Amino acid sequence: MSRALLLGALLVAAGAHAAETTTLPKGAWAFDVSYIASNLANRWGDDQSRLPLLDDIRRYEPGAGLQGILQPRPVVAFQLAVLQLQYGLTDWLTVGATVPIALRTAVDTNIGWQSGDYQSALGRAYSLDDFWAWAASMGQQRVPDRWAGNQGVLADIVLSGRFLIPELRWLKAAGLRVATTLQVALPTGRQAPPEELVTAGTSTWELHAYGDVETHLQIDRPFFQDGYGIPRLSLGADLWFSYFRPRVVTSPLGTENPLLQTFQPYIGDTYVIDPGEWLAASVSMDVVPIIGPARASIVSGGDLERARALPPLLTLNVGYAHIGTFQTTFKSNSDLWSYERERYWLPGEKNQLRAGLTLSFLRLGVPVQVYANYRNQDLIPGRNTRAANTLTAGARLLFKFW
Amino acid sequence: MRLLPTAAVLLSLACAGKSTPPATRSTVHLRGNAYARGFSHGEQLKSRIQSFYTRLMTASLYPYLGREQPDIATLLKEYDGERYQNGNFAYALLLDSARNLEKSLTVSQKEELRGISEGSGMAYEQILILNTFVDTVLAVRGVALSIRLARAPQLKSLEVPQAASDGADNDGDGMIDEPGEGVLSAYVAEAAANLVELPTNATFRVVLEDADGVDPATLRFTLDGALFTPGAQVSSRALSATQLEVTFTPPQGLPPSAVVSLVLSAGDTVVVTRPPPSHQSFMRDEELLFTTRGRGLAPPDVRRPPITDGRTRAPSLALALRGAATRDGKPLLAQHFALLDANVAHEHTVQFVHHPEGAPPFVTFGWAGVAWGFAGLSARGVAYACNPADTLDNSVVGSVVEQLVDLGKARLLAKGVPIGFVGRRILEGTASTQAAVELVQTLKHPYGWSCVVADKAGDLRALELDSNVFTDAATGVFSYGPTDLDASGRRYGSVRDDDLLSTSVFARNRDDIAPLMLAGQRIVPQRVWSTFFFRGRRAVDGLARRVEAQYGQLDAAAVQGILAESELVDGSDSMNAVVLEPARLQAWSAMGQVPATEGPFEAFDLAAEAAP
Repeated sequence: MSRALLLGALLVAAGAHAAETTTLPKGAWAFDVSYIASNLANRWGDDQSRLPLLDDIRRYEPGAGLQGILQPRPVVAFQLAVLQLQYGLTDWLTVGATVPIALRTAVDTNIGWQSGDYQSALGRAYSLDDFWAWAASMGQQRVPDRWAGNQGVLADIVLSGRFLIPELRWLKAAGLRVATTLQVALPTGRQAPPEELVTAGTSTWELHAYGDVETHLQIDRPFFQDGYGIPRLSLGADLWFSYFRPRVVTSPLGTENPLLQTFQPYIGDTYVIDPGEWLAASVSMDVVPIIGPARASIVSGGDLERARALPPLLTLNVGYAHIGTFQTTFKSNSDLWSYERERYWLPGEKNQLRAGLTLSFLRLGVPVQVYANYRNQDLIPGRNTRAANTLTAGARLLFKFW
Repeated sequence: MRLLPTAAVLLSLACAGKSTPPATRSTVHLRGNAYARGFSHGEQLKSRIQSFYTRLMTASLYPYLGREQPDIATLLKEYDGERYQNGNFAYALLLDSARNLEKSLTVSQKEELRGISEGSGMAYEQILILNTFVDTVLAVRGVALSIRLARAPQLKSLEVPQAASDGADNDGDGMIDEPGEGVLSAYVAEAAANLVELPTNATFRVVLEDADGVDPATLRFTLDGALFTPGAQVSSRALSATQLEVTFTPPQGLPPSAVVSLVLSAGDTVVVTRPPPSHQSFMRDEELLFTTRGRGLAPPDVRRPPITDGRTRAPSLALALRGAATRDGKPLLAQHFALLDANVAHEHTVQFVHHPEGAPPFVTFGWAGVAWGFAGLSARGVAYACNPADTLDNSVVGSVVEQLVDLGKARLLAKGVPIGFVGRRILEGTASTQAAVELVQTLKHPYGWSCVVADKAGDLRALELDSNVFTDAATGVFSYGPTDLDASGRRYGSVRDDDLLSTSVFARNRDDIAPLMLAGQRIVPQRVWSTFFFRGRRAVDGLARRVEAQYGQLDAAAVQGILAESELVDGSDSMNAVVLEPARLQAWSAMGQVPATEGPFEAFDLAAEAAP
């Protein structure tokens, strides 16, 4: 039972660690608040090459050849606050709600330029400034160097439930614990405004960190447990499937970006994005270097023995997740336009490395845990996915224990 | 363990769902009467027509032309009117001309356009513009370009002092070192070499003139690809506030017995801010052509060498072959068309196969929503290909002339049969080159075009068209064949008797318009202002070298190879390339990418379509 106090991170499946199967004890509440900073500058190509997030854009002057090549090298920084509330309905069933709130999204566009054909009208090839001056004369304003928005904007709220599968005899004999998790996202996030060229939304599709519906099958195997059930080492695995619902998106008319975003006349008033599902697996390992002292307190009901069964003072965690992503399809009135979007979302994979630590003060009588972890998708090449790196720091407060 | 097969199935499904690029070229068969074929065209290509129109017109050409509104409205007040405001200028201007051009279309052509409109769900006016804008835009662009170049420095004279006493005939007049030899005191661009048999120590002295003064810092000379800017080799001195004398001294002299090209450009001293970006007014790259002692060629016989300065692109070109030129003696017509891809057109290419009721089929090579192509082949055994040829003898200039009495109400209006519809009429109504020539001579033409027609009997004719605004003897149609000779006794555009080479430059209609002043603007012949002139001459010479080298060995595959050679390809605006055999009714086309010849030529058997 004591392990039940160590909460899993239900927000993002890949954020779980080796205690994959933990549930809250009956009647226990947990409130978790965390801060997430995510940075995104590259994507992986179909051949696993590292690419900028956007391809180069070739710009032509009608009848006068290539003006030049816009070379956007955007860097996107997300900051989110995530609030979680969980409750142990029973010892084997925990339900919860997760409320992600975007604090700020910033995009540095970093647009470079490669000059194109000689323009006899100018006596030179276009420079980047020349190009934007030309574009402005046609109603197209210069793309800003930096955009920031999504301040205090809600993302898709997640409802979740984790069910600890009863310990069958063979599972118990093998020292395994198995749980399943179901999480469902409510469409409370914001779609990116259609007319804006540099922007970001906060829906599951746009954050691309968790699905609209996810089902997990999780398994834990603790090793080297002490007399109170505290393992020095835990190995865990998680196999999950993420479903993303199709979404209808309003097509840009080109009112703000007539040269770059006039799509509605040929793609239709709306188009549909049917994101590819994910099939993923992760493995993780928890190491407990310091179990720490314990003292009888209100947290342990004044019982020292119970206090010694509470989570260790320091847990280190490493893990790896392989997330296979299916093809995302775009459905519009223009196959060509749809394909141009789809080729950014071909079937692929994310290879995610994770490391983190958790400090738990429960044993000391303080019902708080603090944690930090870092997830990296840059080190192991992926394919047709964006390589976001994320730093998370948070704290959990436990309200009631049993 | 049971999860693993499930996972494998799901992963395989993921891979199976991988997006594949839609074809950027397609073949569409159209059957029935004109309306039915148009409707089928519109219905089958609805999405691509809407895409093509929006991306090329709404998001590119309309705003681009809109930049010219303030300047045009300065002269033609009608364009200050409400109808042309709020970003509607270019659409309204093109629609005005489209309606004017529509009057010259046949009933069935209009029915076909109506069918495309109703099949695609697009407004008839949009389809009409899509089918007529090329002639209009080229004519308006021609006017605008000539006005712009008139503001830029002009090359007034050229002198090579060493030619005066070098003991050679440098100007091909049969005299040696006569007074004035080596001096072109009233320089006018020509197809021929400017001077020949120059000594290798030749230096070049030019006089540039601009009402605002010539900016010496902008001087550029490029000698056989090597760039020279003001410094030891390029010096200048002001002759007056408007004239600058510039001397260019090649650092190591000129190579002996060689063909030498010298490219000159310069800008004036005034920075023009509208339309942006800010710029000085630059003359076109003026290409001077010479030979050095020992080459032994008369000026008209000198071919332009390739230029690899990164500033020049090949224009549209066409060639027709027959008899001794081809491997099997059968006629062949080929074209590489380049004009306006804008990163859009190549994604909308279509080979249209028409099966008209009670008439032989024909094929055109064009774009979604457009009823014609710049090349086509009929089962009657007639093939044509047309390339734009800049001229101020165009119908838009003509419309200004007609409205000179009240410029306040004058509009820029194109008039005549758009070249694509001329092509359609050739395919639908003629069975020989001669009949095609006679047909074209009965039509009015909105702009300048340089066409080649070939038939199954091997009759090859070039047709140079203009609007004949000032009514000359040729009624705006100048025709010649491989054996026709100019005043100097040389072929207009052939290597021998069985070939015909053509680009965006008039060969017979070289004086397409007599110089004059119109509404304060200089109206001059093509060779004086067209930015295609030197490029076109070079392309013809490049073609000639290749055709000559393979004379008698040329077949469809060999010609495809020629069309794809980098010297003859516009890497930015190449739109399609075709090889047509009017006797065997075979066609090959490369399109759907830029340049068009980056992709394979795909074969089409029109004979099979024509078989009963």
